[in-house]
Amino acid sequence: MVVTVKLSKVTKTFKKGKRNVEVLRGVDLVVERGACMGVLGPSGTGKTTLMRIIAGLEVPSSGEVYFDDKLVSTSNRIIVPPENRNIGMVFQSWALYPNMKAYDNIAFAVKNKGEETRKKIEEIAELLDILHVLDRYPRELSGGQQQRVALARALAKDPSILVLDEPFSNLDARIRDSARALVKKVQKEFGVTALVVSHDPADIFSVADVAGVLLDGNFAQVGSPLELYDSPVSARVARLVGEINELDGVVEGGKLRVLRGVVERRDCQDGNVKVGIRPEDLRVSETEVQGMISLGKVRAKVSSYTGSSFRLVVSPLEEEKVELYVNSDRPMPINSEAVLLAKPEKIKVFKNN
Amino acid sequence: MSEFGPTVKAFLHQLILAIFVVIWLIPIYAMVINGLKSEFDVTSTPVFIPPLHPSLTAFAAVWSQLDVPLLNSVIVVIPVSLVATFIGAMAAYYFYLLSVSKRRSLNFMSNTIFSLIALATFMPYQAVIIPLTRIEANWGLLNTYGGAIFAFILFYIPTAALLMSMFMAVLPRDIIDAARIDGSGDLRTFFRIVVPLTIPGIISTLIFNVIEMWNNFFIPLVLFNVAKQTLIPVAVESFTGGYGTLYNESFAAAFLASIIPLLIFIFLGRYFIRGLVTLGTGGKGAV
Repeated sequence: MVVTVKLSKVTKTFKKGKRNVEVLRGVDLVVERGACMGVLGPSGTGKTTLMRIIAGLEVPSSGEVYFDDKLVSTSNRIIVPPENRNIGMVFQSWALYPNMKAYDNIAFAVKNKGEETRKKIEEIAELLDILHVLDRYPRELSGGQQQRVALARALAKDPSILVLDEPFSNLDARIRDSARALVKKVQKEFGVTALVVSHDPADIFSVADVAGVLLDGNFAQVGSPLELYDSPVSARVARLVGEINELDGVVEGGKLRVLRGVVERRDCQDGNVKVGIRPEDLRVSETEVQGMISLGKVRAKVSSYTGSSFRLVVSPLEEEKVELYVNSDRPMPINSEAVLLAKPEKIKVFKNN
Repeated sequence: MSEFGPTVKAFLHQLILAIFVVIWLIPIYAMVINGLKSEFDVTSTPVFIPPLHPSLTAFAAVWSQLDVPLLNSVIVVIPVSLVATFIGAMAAYYFYLLSVSKRRSLNFMSNTIFSLIALATFMPYQAVIIPLTRIEANWGLLNTYGGAIFAFILFYIPTAALLMSMFMAVLPRDIIDAARIDGSGDLRTFFRIVVPLTIPGIISTLIFNVIEMWNNFFIPLVLFNVAKQTLIPVAVESFTGGYGTLYNESFAAAFLASIIPLLIFIFLGRYFIRGLVTLGTGGKGAV
């Protein structure tokens, strides 16, 4: 039975020596039935603690956790222990049982061991392309195969919720994308509620329908991955979700001035602000381009090729210390000059803090 | 060492190993050859020279004295070490669970009981032998298997728990968490995951317990007062008399008494080594 997971004002305080460390500060969260929620955050912001509280491996200091309408954890008390929560979990280390073959690892979680279970495990193994390694021990499997065995183990018991803790961080970059696609596919196919925790925005963007950015023990922003990328609420969120150039700007009478450019911004209050522009929203050109505004002349410092596009580091002529990253479809000779253009609607303005 | 070639290096390694093997084998060699000597030869020939006319007379003579104590020792030591190791392993797993628990009360409990166990392990059993003997006398357990079993269980379960705790400490926490999430209760997790992963530790603990109990002289000395019904270390000691010692029979008796621990070590020794390695390398030996 797939469930909706709801957290209400969950806090968690750890004692570190004499000091109390507040890891989670009143987290509210709803993961709808069948949805895949991604939790993004730098290390030490309570991602893993949040996940362990949902799994029942950790007790919340206060607040409640519900699976559908059923209270499973409350202040300092676990009401439904982890073994009865029917959770499928993929650990960062995968935590396969080293003394059991892949098949037994998967079957360990399944209550009845009949022919039906065997068929089901083989179906899942087929889907995850591990059918031919079911009789091997974890130490005889590659990293990707171990991860898929861990995923199969989590899925085989028809979990109410699937929890994935940094599931791709131990994989080679080469197979990471196919692993992400596979997780997305099985999550949708099984229709299971899922929670993916990661510090890598690429994991979240490729798997999650909804994503939350966890900063300092609470969600700084929750929304679709695209929303987080395009309309981040703060510079920290913007930085965490993807690469961004940060500049100082001034708003005066509905106009934002940044470098040598001026953009209409009626939604901002007057004063000094932080301006964020992603590298793909910038361009260097000799001439003006329709729909883009000029930020002034720049000089190229570095020009490198990154697979499909060129990556430039440029500095404004009059401000050598400022460096901006630009994604470009052509290279630029070092020390040559050009005009820096930006898409005005993509320029992000944050409060100066 | 760099001026030596790899062959010379390997030869030196082997040579050093061989020297150590010889040193370790000397007592066993002496026990065997002197046991095969006659009463006259054993006092008139050097201890490391084999007899000219080996005979089994001494072995035959002591066997009639040692057969019952040897059987007694097997009956008491083997089951007790199995039970003590098993209960010790369970206790150690319980401590492991308490120690990873975030509840402060459980943590406190774990530390307290663990300290008590350490105390029980390191307390000299001689210090409590008198109250123990009184208790056993009251219960009519003197000169019985039950009495020896009770005493050994009492003294060696804490030792086993302490030893096993060291092996448990290297269990990866994620694996235990994974088992919980997979709906496995503590008992199932213990038998299906903890035991297989700590086999080298369990066998090391078992060997340690067997050898410690087998060689324990003081407890059977106090708890048994009929020479023929005691355990093997006391029986062996009885060949050293107050007025003279039959050296050939003493050697033969000592050899017979050490056969069982020797066999256990020969067959299970590699697990013992692996167990020690596990402790040293953070759990790699367990897989």
